[in-house]
Amino acid sequence: MRLLVIEDNDELAGLLAQGLRTAGYESDRFSSVEDARIALSTVSYAALILDLGLPDGDGLDVLRELRRRSDSIPVILLTARGGLDDRVSGLKLGADDYLVKPFALEELLARIEAQLRRPGQLLGASLKVANLSFDTRERRCLIDDTPQPLSVRETTVLEHLMRSKGRVVSKRQLEDSIFGLSEDVGSNAIEVYVHRLRKQLSEKGSKAQIHTIRGVGYLISEDQ
Amino acid sequence: MRPLNSILSRVVVLHIVAVAITSLAMCIALSWLLNRATDNIHDEAMRKQATAIASHLRMGADGKPALQLPPDLQGIYSQPYNRYLYAVVDENGTVLFSSQANHAPVFSDWAKTDLSLDEARRGDATISGVSLRKNLDGKDFWIQTGENLSNRDALTDDITRGFFREVGWITVPILLILLVIDIAIFRRALRPLRHASLVAQNIGPTRTDVRLPADNMPLEIKPLMMAVNRALDRLDEGFRVQREFAADAAHELRTPLTVIRTRLDLVGNQELVASLRRDLDSISHLVNQLLEFAEVETAEISPDEIADLREICENVAAFVAPLAISQRKTVALTGGEEPVLVFGNREMIRRAVLNLANNAVEYTAEGTTVEFLIQRDGTLGIKDAGSGISPDERELIFQRFWRRDRKRSGSTGLGLSIVRRIVDIHDASIRIEDNPTGGTTFTVAFRAYLDGTL
Repeated sequence: MRLLVIEDNDELAGLLAQGLRTAGYESDRFSSVEDARIALSTVSYAALILDLGLPDGDGLDVLRELRRRSDSIPVILLTARGGLDDRVSGLKLGADDYLVKPFALEELLARIEAQLRRPGQLLGASLKVANLSFDTRERRCLIDDTPQPLSVRETTVLEHLMRSKGRVVSKRQLEDSIFGLSEDVGSNAIEVYVHRLRKQLSEKGSKAQIHTIRGVGYLISEDQ
Repeated sequence: MRPLNSILSRVVVLHIVAVAITSLAMCIALSWLLNRATDNIHDEAMRKQATAIASHLRMGADGKPALQLPPDLQGIYSQPYNRYLYAVVDENGTVLFSSQANHAPVFSDWAKTDLSLDEARRGDATISGVSLRKNLDGKDFWIQTGENLSNRDALTDDITRGFFREVGWITVPILLILLVIDIAIFRRALRPLRHASLVAQNIGPTRTDVRLPADNMPLEIKPLMMAVNRALDRLDEGFRVQREFAADAAHELRTPLTVIRTRLDLVGNQELVASLRRDLDSISHLVNQLLEFAEVETAEISPDEIADLREICENVAAFVAPLAISQRKTVALTGGEEPVLVFGNREMIRRAVLNLANNAVEYTAEGTTVEFLIQRDGTLGIKDAGSGISPDERELIFQRFWRRDRKRSGSTGLGLSIVRRIVDIHDASIRIEDNPTGGTTFTVAFRAYLDGTL
């Protein structure tokens, strides 16, 4: 899996490449808009990590060109500005994610991972929270490697939560994932599925816990 | 509104005064002119009468002057009519002929020139007329004609009164029309000024991009407008420099911090590395807060921006929830699922809410919930179950770099001053209250966008 890193600070670019290699990613690094263009047109990368402030231009220009060509390569923006408008314009132009400097390497790796396994990407993976794991290819849930029998909708809800491990999934997102647009959703349907899921997981000794964030959604994390 | 506060009302009042004075002066002038005209007519008539009489005065065969007046002339001077008089006198004042029964001269004292205008009092009446010299065989005679003015005054009065009834009244509507036209002209002339005033109303602490229109301004006002615009330019430039500085500083500070951070991440998870990472996190936090503070100090919002407070709160609640969960705390949102629209910039409101939420999560006790209470009127309450804030600290906490516990790491003392600044530029308000069950509620009231439809 080859990633492209465009960052004009050589030291940081080198460190990022080193960090990516430790996590099992090969990467190429360049420091200008011009080099980024050449690299993107000659090699097929799995994802692009793009710094916004480059010596010969704005990283957003690279992003804009990619999306104009309908290139759907996942793009994670790195920005030092963190300005009020930057993140909005970056996401509007089709960035998949952004990180404001300074960030933890772990955070960057988590974002890359999330992008590489997002729906639409071919890569299948095993999602893990404590002793609970989810095989996205087989759509199976395992606790301590023991497969768990779950209904189709419970499985869908769990997969959704585990894909967004450590982040809140809104109630509406869950509704959209298990019901078609035309179906009439009971106002407490999701609560019922989450309740059942929670009960089954704790009965089977799972150390992962589904938290309710009232008025917002749900979040799965390791038991504290 | 206090009277005479606008230029227009001042002009109108002064104009009405001017119209009143002009009307009065015009009446006086007109009646004076009228009198003068009647006087001229009278003098002319007297002269003509005298000339007519003179043409009938001849030297008789006996060497004495003889006067043969035709009947129509005699009628004018008949006694009962008593309006016109005549007399013929020689240079010694001896009366030769007179229309009066007592054979008196019209003027006993006259200028004895070719033609003189004379006046005499007779009882209550004033006689006014002319004395015309006529030379017969080397002797000078004067033909005096006069008119009794007490009779004429009645006529003049008639004319004067008639003048005001039939002609003079026209001045009043003309002056009124002039007043209306003038008001229209003034309004038109003041229009660019009014426009500029409306534009100027939009200049606030959060808008420096507004400029006054100087193009169509009257010459008298243009320098003022341009001076104001130049001042705004300088202000704008100051803001721009500060914004650029903040952006440059952000880049120059954040990139090396990232380098250090990544280097530490690559070393692994030893105890020393972990504590260095914590130190680095608090420096990073301080840098972020400083830059954020610099940014909101110079931030501008346009008055028509609208944001969904409910969506912002949901976003922030979802953002802080993982941290809260990891500290055995949680967050909750109440207030329905409908959008709550308020005036303001989404990103800035988000920053304010995020700062309040981070504070609340930090201070709320383990096992408790931080609640976001959203109301339809654009009010947001963020309620924690912490140890509370004493009343004398409530103003202090908004000051920059104020910290209750200086030993506590992770707090920069900037978060709430950022909140205060954002609240101020949104024309919103913030208050702090104790909860009956312990802890504190920060309530921010934004201006609701009541139309409800986007």
